[in-house]
Amino acid sequence: MERRNFLKISALTGVAATLDACHAPDKQLIRFVQEEDLVPGIATIKPSICTLCSAGCGLEVRVMQGDAEVIRNGQTGIIKMGLAKKLEGNPRSPVNQGKLCARGQAGLQVLYHPDRITHPIQRTGARGSGEFQQISWDDAIKEVSSHLSGLQTSKSMSGLSFLARPLRGQRRELIGKFLKAFGAPPAVWYEPFDEAVLRQANLLSFGHAALPTLNLGRADYVLSFGADFLGTWNSPVSQSIGYGAMRQGRAGRRAKFVQVESRMSQTGANADEWIACKPGTEGALALGIAHVILREKLAPNSAASRAGAQIAGWAAGLPKYTPQVVEKQTGISAAVITRLAHEIARSGAATAFAGGAPLAQTNGLFNALAVNALESLVDAGRETGSNSGPILSFAPDVPTSIAAKLETSQASLASLTALAKATPQMLLLYDANPIYFAPAATKIREAIAKIPYVVSFGSFIDETSAQADLILPEHAPLEQWLDGQPESGSTQAYISVAPPAVAPLHNTRPMTDVLLGLAHQLGGDFAKALPWTSFDAMLKAAYTALRTQDASMKTKTDDEFWTAVQKDGGWVGASPTAQARSAAATSKSASISASGIQSEPEFAGAAADFPFYFQPYVSQSLGDGSTANLPWMQELPDVLTTAMWSSWVEINQKTAAKLGIQQGDLVEIQSTQGSLRVPAVLSPGIAPDLIAMPTGQGHEDFGRFASKRGANPLAILALVTEGKTGSLAWAATRVKITRVGGPEQAKLVLFSGGLSGFPHEEESR
Amino acid sequence: MNLRKGLLIGVGVAGVAVLAAFAFPTHAASSSATDEFVTRGIFTPAHPTAVDAFQDFFEVHPEHPAQPIAYTHKIHLLNGMQCVTCHVGVDQGPEAQIPNVTVCMTCHVAIDTDNSEIKKIAAYQARGEAIPWVRVYNYSDSAHVMFNHAPHIRAGVDCVQCHGDMTKQTTAERKVNLNMGYCVECHKQKQVSVDCATCHY
Amino acid sequence: MSHKWGLAVDLDRCTGCEACVVACRAENNIPTAGEDQAARGRTIQWIRVERTWEGDFPNPKVRFQPVLCQQCDAAPCEPVCPTYASYHTEEGLNGQVYNRCIGTRFCANACPYTVRSFNFFNPAWEKPLNLQLNPDVSVRSVGIMEKCTFCVQRIKSAEILAESEKRELKDGEFTTACAQSCASKALVFGDLNDPNSEVTRMATSNRATKLLGELGTKPNVTYLERGTWQDATNS
Repeated sequence: MERRNFLKISALTGVAATLDACHAPDKQLIRFVQEEDLVPGIATIKPSICTLCSAGCGLEVRVMQGDAEVIRNGQTGIIKMGLAKKLEGNPRSPVNQGKLCARGQAGLQVLYHPDRITHPIQRTGARGSGEFQQISWDDAIKEVSSHLSGLQTSKSMSGLSFLARPLRGQRRELIGKFLKAFGAPPAVWYEPFDEAVLRQANLLSFGHAALPTLNLGRADYVLSFGADFLGTWNSPVSQSIGYGAMRQGRAGRRAKFVQVESRMSQTGANADEWIACKPGTEGALALGIAHVILREKLAPNSAASRAGAQIAGWAAGLPKYTPQVVEKQTGISAAVITRLAHEIARSGAATAFAGGAPLAQTNGLFNALAVNALESLVDAGRETGSNSGPILSFAPDVPTSIAAKLETSQASLASLTALAKATPQMLLLYDANPIYFAPAATKIREAIAKIPYVVSFGSFIDETSAQADLILPEHAPLEQWLDGQPESGSTQAYISVAPPAVAPLHNTRPMTDVLLGLAHQLGGDFAKALPWTSFDAMLKAAYTALRTQDASMKTKTDDEFWTAVQKDGGWVGASPTAQARSAAATSKSASISASGIQSEPEFAGAAADFPFYFQPYVSQSLGDGSTANLPWMQELPDVLTTAMWSSWVEINQKTAAKLGIQQGDLVEIQSTQGSLRVPAVLSPGIAPDLIAMPTGQGHEDFGRFASKRGANPLAILALVTEGKTGSLAWAATRVKITRVGGPEQAKLVLFSGGLSGFPHEEESR
Repeated sequence: MNLRKGLLIGVGVAGVAVLAAFAFPTHAASSSATDEFVTRGIFTPAHPTAVDAFQDFFEVHPEHPAQPIAYTHKIHLLNGMQCVTCHVGVDQGPEAQIPNVTVCMTCHVAIDTDNSEIKKIAAYQARGEAIPWVRVYNYSDSAHVMFNHAPHIRAGVDCVQCHGDMTKQTTAERKVNLNMGYCVECHKQKQVSVDCATCHY
Repeated sequence: MSHKWGLAVDLDRCTGCEACVVACRAENNIPTAGEDQAARGRTIQWIRVERTWEGDFPNPKVRFQPVLCQQCDAAPCEPVCPTYASYHTEEGLNGQVYNRCIGTRFCANACPYTVRSFNFFNPAWEKPLNLQLNPDVSVRSVGIMEKCTFCVQRIKSAEILAESEKRELKDGEFTTACAQSCASKALVFGDLNDPNSEVTRMATSNRATKLLGELGTKPNVTYLERGTWQDATNS
């Protein structure tokens, strides 16, 4: 053969032969025998429930076989197991009807997140040092048990506190029963953007202390006061489905949509007419519109019935709310107010509702009641036939034996500040991170530092779990039994139940089974209250009662029913039975309304020193901050500013020019409680005296994608509250702004153009 | 020795040395702060070592790799088993499954239990380990081929056509050169689409 | 029946929620660029939502528009590819053959819609995020161009299934990841050769337009114009 070929062949085979032994490390891991019976390459679809916001949409999980690195008995190896590949909406869920939002799609990254805690860990260094060591589940359970027993022995069971995000369904029941059997006070349910004001208003106006279900597909006119109903408010997927239908779902009919807010939200960007209203005066605007309708007899006074009765002066035709007076309060011209009144009263099917910043004021309850009264006046269900009925209604109750009870009396913030003052002996944390999600002024960080023993059920190290003494990591939502009773979004009675879609990846356990296990160990009263050894047994016991109450699933035995429910991902009531508003105006409700509801907004910080209103808003991608650790969400450009991987503050273009602030400059925002430094984004869609900032960034400690990035607007909020509910008035803080640097200090990343602030390689050459 | 020969040998030696230096993993595992209790490592389509890259590029994969168990297709087929008995899923989806160790033990808990190879299988099962079979048939990742068994089986293509006569094989051997030309020839004969997107997407 | 795949985007229904963007990312193994590379404009988005601002406070107007590969019949990206990696498939898609691509980026240069993305670096997924990767979709490596494929893996799956059951594909039997997630049903995918399909109905609507249609690219994506907004001002 030729020398050239000889050399080539010998080089190839020689190298291959000598280095054959060196391969990728992966090939040296052992393979565990597979435990699941899956055919490779073929997907199975499993139901589940999305837990990333409170809407409770149903999921379908596409599961396929794949290789996963796992640790079994301390040994790392590879196993073939079912892996979740894609999430879709569950077509059988009446809430989301097969659709899913951006955050919902990212649920997969919670399951497969690299920062998930993979086994129980116990603190070894000082609190907050990040020094933990791995311990076994047996030891971890013993630790918790012994602390609980300790409380029992010293008769200080009331020293046990449980802090969690609000839940509906059997997890809430389980926690409630556990605490009651233990003798501890009820759980503290905290979330930053709670809807206590809206629920209280709906109770007064409509007789239902619940979030509204909106059947927008029927509407001809939608007047929304501050509600980001297509993005982050209430049940966004359900509302988006209705929005599409109201626009182009009916031949020859297209609804008009008017949004009233001070900062253009993603929802507001879709409005036919966007009206900027002075913060806190939205209720006055609603009453101004109602005044015109009543004055010109475009709808009868009695149409508003109970809701109208909540407003002082309603029966007299709202003499204090003439368009001229309201113009001075709101900044919206009398001509526009009159025109809106004519439009809404004369359109076929109209609705009005409020959410977001208007309710997060000291007069938030007043604003909500005013809008509810307007809604009652116009949404009289003028259509007849099968499409009749109001657009705004309430989701049907599920049968009372299993209905989730929602305490409406106390707003989140009040519960949290009570906890901060109470100094409990032991704190259990479940899906709760108050150090991040509560304003610094609550002093919750200092309070937690004083609690002798803190246990977290979290999956991630975050600001609060970093202070824990023991972390019992949870299964991811897709790995465990879940149930939910969505508060809104469906006109049919609906309970979602789903078995685990995939086997657990790490050495974790669901909080529900851990609590049941502890109950089992503690014995006594617990045995009666919580006789089940696993959460699915508790779910089955709770929900099979539905079989006899509603025969829609046509099953003959409890077991058959339970199998059918699991397969569908839930139970849907036989026919739409949405709850109408209660027409009866009782004298009792009248007396609640008449007294002491503040009608004018108040703000923290004197206008002279703090000339700008500050409006934090829930981020489309990061939510209130709970999905900030998901890379898909960090990289999702904000749809209005295109910003990603960043924090920013939106400032009116003309205001910025006056202050000498340019796009991407670093600015300092200061309130009476503290200050933040963030890049500025100039926007035409925001009032000149208001600045807005998305929530979600500013985590000190939340994994590799979210830590030390941007700033958290919640941190500088003053503890101003709505008078009646005690709910945090998160839109009632005033701030001042100063330019402190240029784009190179600000680190703003924009998807389209303007790569301001980032040094490029070319620039450094 | 003349200068050219010397240069060629020198370059060859240097090349081997360079490759040897890069035989180690090319990616450091991601290291974030203090955590030993979170997952580490990176998945990337880059070849993990230069050796893998080399083998992939020059298509140097052994045709008859040594398997952990000296399995004989010959014996099983001659005893009346079908391909699909063990390679489940080949008519339903893209992949032909290699059976789980529990499948083997279904029969071999009783059959031929004195055989040393059977004893090895039993030992794997006892340890809860899957048998680490070495892959014989594959496409290079960079070929981006989406091969799907099911339409071929349904169209009546015999396993023998691509995998050779297994009644003459012990452990699997790559007797047929499954390059693109082989696929395209058969597609043309059977008048099936040869559009690129049929297989490459 | 031979198929010609098309997509319709009803701009009156689109709310700018970007569910389509994330659904596509999840379905098609699109890598995350990270902060540094994102700042260099190297994020990969097969579908993106554009927004246009008009006017000033207090009457600003915003329009959302999802932009994805238009699967043009006269695609400018096809004739410029030296290796025939960008080509037209039998079913009217603009196909991208990853193994042929040598990364000249002429196609991205030619595309008037800027929908083609280049892999400037080998994508990396921090384990175990890689467990989510879709086995039906190739994982692209450095130096390869990629773009929306109309979820060709779903098209193939559905076609193989229909063939095995010896029947025709039904309209709505399967859809792309973006259209499946779209809550307001702004995105509709289907067969333009089927006169009864939803996408054909939308493509022949009186609101139908093509993006940059005047360039002669003959896109297979049809945009339906927004409804009229009532032009009242706040004065």
